[in-house]
Amino acid sequence: MELFERTIIDIRNDIQKKKYVELSALQDTGNWPGGAGRNVVLTEDMAVELGNPQKDSSSSLLWTQHADMISDGKITLIGPDIPSSIGLSLPFGKVVLVAVNGFNEDNTYDRYKEMEAVRYALDLKGYMIRAVSQYQREWSRISREAVQKGFSFKVLGSELRKEYLKKDYIRAVEFIFMTSSMEDVRELKDITKNVGRTINALDKMLNEIEADCDECEYNDVCDEVGEIKKVKKNRDEKRMKANG
Amino acid sequence: MDRKTKTIALCGKGGVGKTSVSALMVKSLAKRNDLKILAIDADPAVGLCTSLGLSIKKTVDDIRNDLIHSIKLGDSKNKEATLAMLDYELFDALTEHQNVGLLAIGRPESEGCFCRVNALLKDIIQDLAKSFDVVLIDGEAGVEQINRRVMKTVDHLITISDTSAKGLNVVKTIKHLAENNKAVNYKSMGLILNRVREEHEVEGIRNTSPVPFLGYLMEDDLIREYDFYGRSFFNFPDAAPACETVDNIIRSLNL
Repeated sequence: MELFERTIIDIRNDIQKKKYVELSALQDTGNWPGGAGRNVVLTEDMAVELGNPQKDSSSSLLWTQHADMISDGKITLIGPDIPSSIGLSLPFGKVVLVAVNGFNEDNTYDRYKEMEAVRYALDLKGYMIRAVSQYQREWSRISREAVQKGFSFKVLGSELRKEYLKKDYIRAVEFIFMTSSMEDVRELKDITKNVGRTINALDKMLNEIEADCDECEYNDVCDEVGEIKKVKKNRDEKRMKANG
Repeated sequence: MDRKTKTIALCGKGGVGKTSVSALMVKSLAKRNDLKILAIDADPAVGLCTSLGLSIKKTVDDIRNDLIHSIKLGDSKNKEATLAMLDYELFDALTEHQNVGLLAIGRPESEGCFCRVNALLKDIIQDLAKSFDVVLIDGEAGVEQINRRVMKTVDHLITISDTSAKGLNVVKTIKHLAENNKAVNYKSMGLILNRVREEHEVEGIRNTSPVPFLGYLMEDDLIREYDFYGRSFFNFPDAAPACETVDNIIRSLNL
């Protein structure tokens, strides 16, 4: 299923215009200790904040079955890294690019939900995350202790990658982190806005019994992304079968 | 060291000074730098926020209304996404002061029955609470509200009363509701007597108290002054007798 290939190219083209550094999530950063499910970082203990609701944030997960489109373990960082941002609350952009296997009309949405849940399953000491997938917002805090012990985007990328690769249908994971400016994050948000709308369209199609396509606010998405029509066709066939 | 979250819920008849005692307890707990405290203002009048001198951006009830509104608009999302969104909104609703996070529940629902929404919110509050060492709930008079809107189980259910028969009768009622009607699950229950005018009043009440007696606070002009002028109890003098009493009670809870 081709859903986000065009967007992946657009993101890459946008990054080329910006100042960035490349890091690797393949290098061993050791196993970051778990937080035993106690993942609240209050302001008092906080070293760095990313994507506070008062600032801007943009977070997307895009997948493709074209493995050559993804550089496994690559982290592209636009803006300062966590250790050099102590005391700051920064706007935040995050893109997770995933190379996958065997996605089809039947399993795509469930697998998306599984991949979406990965960031919440990550339990890293001193790292707190709150996110709203439907608005593509992500807000995180890193504690002073975690930064002192070396927490950085490399550690975050490495730990996230390990978690994603636990899914047997994921072959490669690449990250883009952005902390440079509100303008850059807004630009990224604009480029990736169709990701959220595509997911919302899938959600509506699969979870609403009486979705009227003529009235639907995602009508344009379905027209534009032909693959969604396949999901709809598959859904309609299943419903017809179920109704005899 | 990993710790299990301890929950304290305060309840009692309206007007007995429950919120001032709650605020003094939050102040006492906040002195422990090794603890993260979640204070929950479950009183619709959001008195605890005022007593702590903290302003709130939004209440749990605002979040609940937004969710109901979005459901009515047909903005349906899968359950996991809804839970994650509520978690985000709840953390955004938290007002922070040092090692204390304050959450206000807001007004109870006025129209319709939204049990499933309330249950979702309760789940999320309980999840958030797990990340704190101590949760202190300043409840309404009715103990069942704690169960319905905040939490099903608490460690210490603390009743507050003045020396009046009415106040003490409410303590009996709370005990009855908690024990016989299972209005809320609790591990221990206790009584703090507030606004005591004469020390000799205490002995008789202590001897006949329906629940274990935890301590008492004398009628205190300084507390009244803080209440009257809306001063933050975080600034209440540590050496004041009320603070000492509350510190002792907190110590006795072995948190």
